Amino acid sequence: MSTRVARILTTIFVLAVVLLPIYWLVSTSLKSNREITQEGTLYPHVPTFDNYVRLFTEKQFGSYLTNSLVVTFFSVAIALVAGAMGAYAIARFRLPLAMEGKVGLFLLTLRIIPPVVILIPVYLLMLSLGLLDSWLGLIATYTAFNVTFCVWMMESFFREIPVDLEEAAMVDGDSRFGAFRRITLPLAAPGLAATAIFAVLVTFNEFLFALALTATPRAMTMPRGTATLIGRIDTDWASMSAAGVIGALPIVFFALLVQRHLVRGLTMGAVK
Amino acid sequence: MRAAAQARKYRLQGAGLDLALPYLMLAPGLMIVLGVLVYPLWDGLRASTRAYRYGSPVADVGFQNYVHLWSDGQFLNSLWVTVKFVALSVSFEAVLGFALALFCLREFQGIRLLRTVLIIPMVVTPVVVAIVFRLIYASDAGMLTALSEAMGGGEAQILGNPLNAFIGLVVLDVWEWTPLMFLILLAGLQSLPHEPFEAARVDGAGAWRVFADLTFPMMRPVLAVAIVLRTIDAFGTFDQVFVLTRGGPGEATRLVSIYGYDTAFKFQQTGYAAALFVTIGLVVLALAFSAIRLLRRVDAS
Repeated sequence: MSTRVARILTTIFVLAVVLLPIYWLVSTSLKSNREITQEGTLYPHVPTFDNYVRLFTEKQFGSYLTNSLVVTFFSVAIALVAGAMGAYAIARFRLPLAMEGKVGLFLLTLRIIPPVVILIPVYLLMLSLGLLDSWLGLIATYTAFNVTFCVWMMESFFREIPVDLEEAAMVDGDSRFGAFRRITLPLAAPGLAATAIFAVLVTFNEFLFALALTATPRAMTMPRGTATLIGRIDTDWASMSAAGVIGALPIVFFALLVQRHLVRGLTMGAVK
Repeated sequence: MRAAAQARKYRLQGAGLDLALPYLMLAPGLMIVLGVLVYPLWDGLRASTRAYRYGSPVADVGFQNYVHLWSDGQFLNSLWVTVKFVALSVSFEAVLGFALALFCLREFQGIRLLRTVLIIPMVVTPVVVAIVFRLIYASDAGMLTALSEAMGGGEAQILGNPLNAFIGLVVLDVWEWTPLMFLILLAGLQSLPHEPFEAARVDGAGAWRVFADLTFPMMRPVLAVAIVLRTIDAFGTFDQVFVLTRGGPGEATRLVSIYGYDTAFKFQQTGYAAALFVTIGLVVLALAFSAIRLLRRVDAS
């Protein structure tokens, strides 16, 4: 009985530690700036949605949302297609001596390097191509990061699928690429889904490159746009927290929806 | 798209393109990576040996930027802050994550909910995590101040005080990333073989004995991987600090990433910043590869 009580108490404690900050964000977003700074209430006494309305009418939050969705969608989609093909090539084909076994390691190395290391040259590249503050510049950058990740993750999924199935399809007259597309790809679908989910999360949340590569609401993504609300001398706590709620809500909802894939993607490489 | 067209052509033309197929499949991905990551990396190496003015290279200075780093007090301080930050955060995350994973190993009512809720901190956008903690720490509008005032105290001073701000940053990181540690370690625990534990139970070994002699030694590789992964990531921490403290007060929370960013984009010392980042990149790579080698040796023995 006592272990049961201890277990319940620990669970409640952990839940409280995780949820209390979230509660504070949401509750602040429903207060007026006056209530936030002068009254310091523990819950909104006069709940208001004004902060949210103001974000969209005065702070161009609609464009940040659109930019985030467009950039995330295209960079993940392109990276998935290119990554799936690349991963398959590495998993199935014998590459020439210089490349055999090295392509994967090479991409893994790129993945280990902190993104901040590549920040300056990518900025210079986009500057010289005239792609600063544009969707295309962000999409190209995110696609490259996502490709290294997709290849690295999907390679193991393809290796797990028996070659015999493809060979059977080819005996039946399918081409090599056709066998890949019609047999292997559908079988690897759960793995591809896990990869895609992960890429969406990382891309949607990215801030550093968005900070350096965008400057106006034309291309600013949501995290980047949210950061513009901060750092003035007088912080607009109310809009800031409302922006935080909108920035977090879709991605948390999405993550909880696909929880099982997410946990698998998170832990797979680490435990094997 | 082009690869699909190529494959159709391949079927029409026969076996000739069979040899080319792997390259055709690798090409799109490699081209993107070469263009947007590898070329910039090389360009970054070049930039790191130059002096810049207003974003344009003005002179070759060889390794001078690199040499300069080691007499730059601000850089050395930021490196020290980063090492402290990484060591503290990752240790807390490892201990807490391991404890939580052991706690959750047995199925009980509420574990589903616990695991679901624990996913939230690491999927919330890092910028938003920083906002959340600003709302907690802020002296005028924060939760700590509200709590303190509700109990009759005064304003909480977190972000204005160097030590408190640093601790506040560590707390943020622990809140955000302990769940990841927990998930990796839980998966590791669940994949351990049952037999040794049953044998231990038959022998009547106590909980501590089982942990010290069985669980911990068997979990060491997984624990090591989890720690290495977190360490590498923590070295690159940027978003949360940028939004929470901007590196301040003073230099108390100025990680190398923040110092490098400011050097490049605020002070326009592009070449010097490039040298700084190349150095950090090499440190992280060396860390990663020595960890991998170490793990292999542990595995083999």
